[in-house]
Amino acid sequence: MKKVANYLWVEKNGEEYTLIMTPELQDDIGTVGFVEFTKAEEVAKNDSLLELEASKTVLDLASPLAGKIVAVNEKATDEPTLLNSAKADESWVVKLTGVDEAEFNALADA
Amino acid sequence: MMTQTDRLHFLISYMQQEKNIEQSVPDSFNERFEVFRGLANERPAVKISREFLDVQDAFLSEYNAGNVTEFESLKPVKKQLYIWQGDITALRIEAIVNAANTEMLGCLIPNHNCIDNIIHTKAGAELRLECAELIKKQGRKEAVGRAKITSAYNLPADYVIHTVGPVVQGERVSQMKQDLLAKCYKSCLELAGQNEIKAIVFCSISTGVFGYPKEKAAETAVNTVQEYLEETGSEIRVVFNVFSKEDLKIYEDLLT
Repeated sequence: MKKVANYLWVEKNGEEYTLIMTPELQDDIGTVGFVEFTKAEEVAKNDSLLELEASKTVLDLASPLAGKIVAVNEKATDEPTLLNSAKADESWVVKLTGVDEAEFNALADA
Repeated sequence: MMTQTDRLHFLISYMQQEKNIEQSVPDSFNERFEVFRGLANERPAVKISREFLDVQDAFLSEYNAGNVTEFESLKPVKKQLYIWQGDITALRIEAIVNAANTEMLGCLIPNHNCIDNIIHTKAGAELRLECAELIKKQGRKEAVGRAKITSAYNLPADYVIHTVGPVVQGERVSQMKQDLLAKCYKSCLELAGQNEIKAIVFCSISTGVFGYPKEKAAETAVNTVQEYLEETGSEIRVVFNVFSKEDLKIYEDLLT
């Protein structure tokens, strides 16, 4: 099941929620040149997930859901343009668990 | 005592020496001011002598005192809300909002006609130095939609709140950019609240060289500020500063 919030796709696989860059977001920011992920292990809704510097803007990307960060796309730290990829397995941002399913269900459908 | 024109001569010569250039200094006050402004705009954020700052502060405080409008003399158009047409650097109010860029060092283009340029020019070299400290501490560029506070140095205001607005190309404004513009206003108001600021003046963020369509920007500005005041019950008084007659009408249509 896939939802969209804060310009990110939220893909639910069992208990794991993967946040992925949307094409609209990619289009708005341009080529990504630098990313720094949050060091937090848990985020509240609207907490920063990562800061990125791209050709069109500098952006603080906020989490649409509260949860525990179980993985971040470390590869993007070395190769920021992965976040411009059309493939979700390259342009994902973080994976969350411990998300309130009702909160997820309340997001807009993708 | 040095006259204002003498002070400009000193400031120009000082900055020319720093750059190792030798150029004759023009005679008239207005020409000197333009040369001074250009050199100050280009000057990187590096340490500067007390002597320079003393002369600069004497010059700017006298220069800025010439045309001050007191916030307390303005009449609200609605509870807590004001519209004021004029030069934002001439308003005596607790905080003015600067439309910064992501480098957050002030406009570096000599004599560029943007708000960031004129705010930094009239505040003085100290402002760029303070901004550079903040950015150094942060370790990266300033993201769109946040806010940072500094002293206003030689301006009649007490503080400058710097925010970076979204850049728009063409007429289409994406949802993200609209949200980011709203976030600019909200971040500035929150930061003002944290600093117990009771009056703030906003320029029309993003509508200059950043290309955000003026009417859409004004709608977002007014809606965001009104929502913030309703939601928080904050008693802060908010001025929307406009420069042209056209901008004035946009805000008047929205608020009156």
